[in-house]
Amino acid sequence: MTPFVFAFALLVAVPVSLVLALSAMWYIWETGNTVLFDSFAQKMFSGLENYGLLAIPLFMLTGELMNEGGMTRRLINAARVFVGGFRGGLAYINLLANMFMAAIIGSATAQIAVMSRAMTPEMEKEGYDIGFAAATTAAGGLLAPVIPPSMMFVIYGVLAQIPIGDMFLAGVIPGLLLALAFATVITLIGFFRGLPMGRWFTRPEAMSALLRCLPAALIPTAIIGGILLGIATPTESAAVASLIAFLIGWLVYKELKPRALGEMFVRTAVNASMIIFMIAAANVFGWVIIYEALPQKLAALITSLTQDPFVFLLIVNGILLLVGMLIDGIAAVILITPILLPIAMNDYTIDPFQFGVVMCLNLVLGLLTPPVGVGLYIASSMSGASPWRILRSLWPFLLAVTVILVLLSRFPALSTALI
Amino acid sequence: MFRKISGHWARVELTLAAGLAVAVTLLILLNVVTRSAGAALFWVDELAIYCMAWMTFLGASAAIHHGNAVAVTVLADALPRSLRTLVAKLVDVIVLGFSLAMVWFCWRWFAPLDLARHGFDLRAFQGATFNFIYAEPTTTLGIKKAWVWSIMWLFSLGATLHSVANLLESRGSAGNSQDVA
Repeated sequence: MTPFVFAFALLVAVPVSLVLALSAMWYIWETGNTVLFDSFAQKMFSGLENYGLLAIPLFMLTGELMNEGGMTRRLINAARVFVGGFRGGLAYINLLANMFMAAIIGSATAQIAVMSRAMTPEMEKEGYDIGFAAATTAAGGLLAPVIPPSMMFVIYGVLAQIPIGDMFLAGVIPGLLLALAFATVITLIGFFRGLPMGRWFTRPEAMSALLRCLPAALIPTAIIGGILLGIATPTESAAVASLIAFLIGWLVYKELKPRALGEMFVRTAVNASMIIFMIAAANVFGWVIIYEALPQKLAALITSLTQDPFVFLLIVNGILLLVGMLIDGIAAVILITPILLPIAMNDYTIDPFQFGVVMCLNLVLGLLTPPVGVGLYIASSMSGASPWRILRSLWPFLLAVTVILVLLSRFPALSTALI
Repeated sequence: MFRKISGHWARVELTLAAGLAVAVTLLILLNVVTRSAGAALFWVDELAIYCMAWMTFLGASAAIHHGNAVAVTVLADALPRSLRTLVAKLVDVIVLGFSLAMVWFCWRWFAPLDLARHGFDLRAFQGATFNFIYAEPTTTLGIKKAWVWSIMWLFSLGATLHSVANLLESRGSAGNSQDVA
């Protein structure tokens, strides 16, 4: 009965966190193990007693501060210095700025919202097709959860019980590969369909753009440098980054009003609690997974199909694509990691870091595919292009992600080399 | 009436949650400073984690009032309008069921009646029930863990209040999903 309760609650749009908790309750009641009810609330609470989770509100806060502090515009201007003059210059600027932003923001939807507002009107003004403009921006948003910091990686790291700092490192090469693949797509589109010519900055313009961006560049440096050199835990570097973002926005750029802080902390609390509460609920759902031996049962099924880790990962990719189309990425990570990771590690000796990178990138793809592609709808509402029009230009980017996913599945070193 | 109380309480919850988010930020910064000065404070991590947990449960309860939670709405959105309100009502009932169950779990866990029956004598209570909830200490803070766990009461009762208010209101809580990835 439990699977039915689970599916039913999920489909009538009960919040995912409550679906997990309710399924666990139903399961306990059905199996007569009611002594577990005594520790149900405690089990939920203990799911949160994890130092790594502290990074989630802190990274969200950094994103909020950066938005309000006028850093987005300056980062875009700095990107202009490096790639502005090429054919399709603005498209590359969009991509490069998205890379900078991804090193600060850990959430694809947040990044798509910010960048769509900043980039699509400008691209349209210079004669780009609006669908292409919105598609480039939306695709660029996919870099957010792969290039560190990443909300998804924090959650995966907590669930997989692996160091989050190392998980961040695992995302560096795949993130760069992804950006390279997107750049290739833009080049090819420019080659076949033609894109507007860009314009290089004059030397003084370039110097001033770089200089103005310098303080903002401190934030990704603090985050990635702190983790890379092992000086700070991801949680600590997130806190330091939020402090830097606040000081720069307030004192250097003078666009951030301390009065706005209250509102920002409320938004941070709302958004962070939404995600972290899912983890609390997933902890009680863990009982179902363990007592039913779901990984073992599923493993028996899958190992009878293939012994090859690569084929296994391809199958997983297929499943995840479907799941990602229906369920929000982070919710899906919370749901799937405890079931599939044991199989990947025990039966196929797949590295947990590789598995995490493949899974997170795959699930985030669902943000841009109908029917629940939230990222697609955000890009659409922010740019004014219809979802269909965006999709028409988006498919080469989606194809590029798929190719990268296959590469990441085939070559573990792409994820594990830096750790 | 319920709607009003629920709204007020949600505002209190979010204010507290925002305050706790501030606390988390300051505590971790304090940690960075003291650690780099070579005088790390051992209790900061545990306190920061509890602040985050409290923030989460307060925010999660308020989310029931505001109807913003991650949900799969493909099917519900595709339903005709009349059916959709019905489904939304059903979701409200399910959420209320969840909240009441949580209150019951807290009751079983904290066992206030048993505690009173033993005249609030912890040893007698523990001897009779083998429930050691009131004996468990926090690792570094020097208070009993039961105080920290009391957030589960606040969460369960808050969720109950909000879901009752939702149910009495004509508006449904479904169809209002947010995405966070």
